[in-house]
Amino acid sequence: MSAWRLFRSSAGLEAAHLLGNRGFVALTALAAVSFLAMVSLFGLTGSYAPVALIDRDGGPLARRFIEALDGAHHSFALTYLSEEAAEAALGSGRLVGIITIPAGFSDAVAKGTTVPVDVRIDNVNVDLTNDMQRALPAAIVAFARQLQFPGTAVQMVEHDVWPRDTGYIPYLTVSALALDAMVIAGILGAMATAREWERRTVKLLRLSPASPAIVLAGKLSVAATVAAMALALALLVIEVGYGVVPIARWTTAFALLACVAIFTSVGAWLGALLKRTLAAVPLLFGLAMPFYVDSGALEPTRFDGDAIWALAHLSPVYYAVGVLEWAFHGLHVTPEPIWVDLLVLVVIAVVAVILTLGRLAKGATR
Amino acid sequence: MRGAPSPPAAPSTEGERTPVNNGKPTLARQEAPESRPAVDVADVVCQFGRIRALDGVSLRVMPGTVVGVVGPNGAGKTTLIDVICGLVRPARGTVHVLGEDVAGDTRALRARIGVLPQETALYDEVTAWQNLRFAAALYGVAHPDARIAEVLQLVGLSGRARDVVRGFSGGMQRRLAIARALLHNPPLLILDEPTVGVDVEARHQIWAHIRSLRAGGRTVVLTTNYLDEAEALCDRVAILRAGKLVAEDTPAALGARTGRCLELECWEEGATELSAALRTHPGVLRAEIVDFGLRVYLGVDTTPEDVVRAARLVCAVEGFRTRSPDLVEVFRSLTADGTEP
Repeated sequence: MSAWRLFRSSAGLEAAHLLGNRGFVALTALAAVSFLAMVSLFGLTGSYAPVALIDRDGGPLARRFIEALDGAHHSFALTYLSEEAAEAALGSGRLVGIITIPAGFSDAVAKGTTVPVDVRIDNVNVDLTNDMQRALPAAIVAFARQLQFPGTAVQMVEHDVWPRDTGYIPYLTVSALALDAMVIAGILGAMATAREWERRTVKLLRLSPASPAIVLAGKLSVAATVAAMALALALLVIEVGYGVVPIARWTTAFALLACVAIFTSVGAWLGALLKRTLAAVPLLFGLAMPFYVDSGALEPTRFDGDAIWALAHLSPVYYAVGVLEWAFHGLHVTPEPIWVDLLVLVVIAVVAVILTLGRLAKGATR
Repeated sequence: MRGAPSPPAAPSTEGERTPVNNGKPTLARQEAPESRPAVDVADVVCQFGRIRALDGVSLRVMPGTVVGVVGPNGAGKTTLIDVICGLVRPARGTVHVLGEDVAGDTRALRARIGVLPQETALYDEVTAWQNLRFAAALYGVAHPDARIAEVLQLVGLSGRARDVVRGFSGGMQRRLAIARALLHNPPLLILDEPTVGVDVEARHQIWAHIRSLRAGGRTVVLTTNYLDEAEALCDRVAILRAGKLVAEDTPAALGARTGRCLELECWEEGATELSAALRTHPGVLRAEIVDFGLRVYLGVDTTPEDVVRAARLVCAVEGFRTRSPDLVEVFRSLTADGTEP
């Protein structure tokens, strides 16, 4: 019996099924990009939190203070507004806060007099409140240092662990690829196996002398190929649309393909376990977001407390984020070495494949 | 084929077994290979939780014969098929198919069995040809294209080879599944309800295919709900009820076992009275009122004349005739509650 012929035949059947459902395949590719857009919104909403600036002074030192404020670390957008417009915008929830530089600011600073800078904050979101509370003192220190005021002898000297900074959006988009891999490859893998029970064709496989491993390999190769194409589209959007370019292109491609293969295998096992696409797909979607959030997708999980970090180890997305952030940005976001992350993923995939083969070979046919 | 419903105890060795078929000795395992049973199920018990799907079932199928397994829904027919195919491991008993124990590694054996599952198990989003291509790869069929064309012609689907299966009627899907079961030219075919859900014309086409298989010397085991199907196709019929084999013989022998059927012509009022009276008559198994009068099922040792004489004492009998019972009547007489399959 030709294993290659069986592999091709099995892959051909799976491809024919997917070709017969082009709409589904197109929506799958779209889902990969939409997940990317969704996680980007986390960063985009914070980055552009609007803050009004009212300059009642207009003097040279006020302008230098505004420059210092602009340069301080924060995630809001400063906008010059009139007092009336700012009050109206804050009242209607379109502003996070109003910073008012009082009249006589420049004169008072020049004379060494302490000047109160009024800040009104819509503290509906404590994160943005904290952001302003951090940004203003930082701007004041930077402003004083520029003017060489006495009493600011301490100065930060920065030594970066990593050779380049990684912005929040670039970080998020890469972790979104792990989410994409889980959902897209997982669903396609689950469909490839669950349909064997839905159509009762699993009985045909069990009655034949053929190796279920070859049949499964043929089916999953097509599922993984389609998932990889969807992820390639997402990667293209990241590079062209977001301008985020991987530091090592081939390593990134390999890491992505590895994640696709692993999540296709996990999906195949879920499909074989639940025996229904309609059960496997909602489960994958339901698991995706908790796994994603608790996987170092928004920031390295090791900074979120021991309990959350320990819990994250249950999620394959945790290891996938670790591998992908390393491949794409050269970051080590998990305390474990990258080879450990990769090894855990491979072990998960191997166990999933073994369990799936067990279901195909010996599980109930209904 | 071993007689039923009293199978011998499971033998300790194959050579010790001397099965009995209606009192006549049947072939033992050590005989010539062509005389060895194609299927030998011995004292099989299958338990699913609290449900005993098969309860001490024994069945022998000789090569080149068509054997029907008949029974109502839930009787255990599909479980018996699954046991024969090695899909279900019995809790007790042994199963040998084509001389091999299905409890062992059955990969080589599976290549010699063609199965039509009850649910056809076709990939309905691809063409008939693609379905058979995949099956050919599963069974390692040499020269698959030629063989596929051959089996499609055999089941009359050559013209629909490139059509998607989803558009096929139930009968066409069944025929395609039979073609798939034949693809690797197996000596043993197992057909689980081959005509369920198909129209009359398709049913007769499938019957013709099964008859041609028997003519070609293949062994066929089929399950069916239709007694007329079993009667029309099978050399032997096994009747299952609630997991037990209640009878197994040729259709004619089963009919003889039941006794004759006596039809008495009388008025409706007389039929009611006659029915009540004859129910207690010795040798009358059952009586049912029909449009022309009364139909009476007789025990094997009962003569119709005795019953007619007794009937004439109750009411005026205008005429009577006797005939052999059909399989429906056999089934009714052999199952306690008279449930039809």
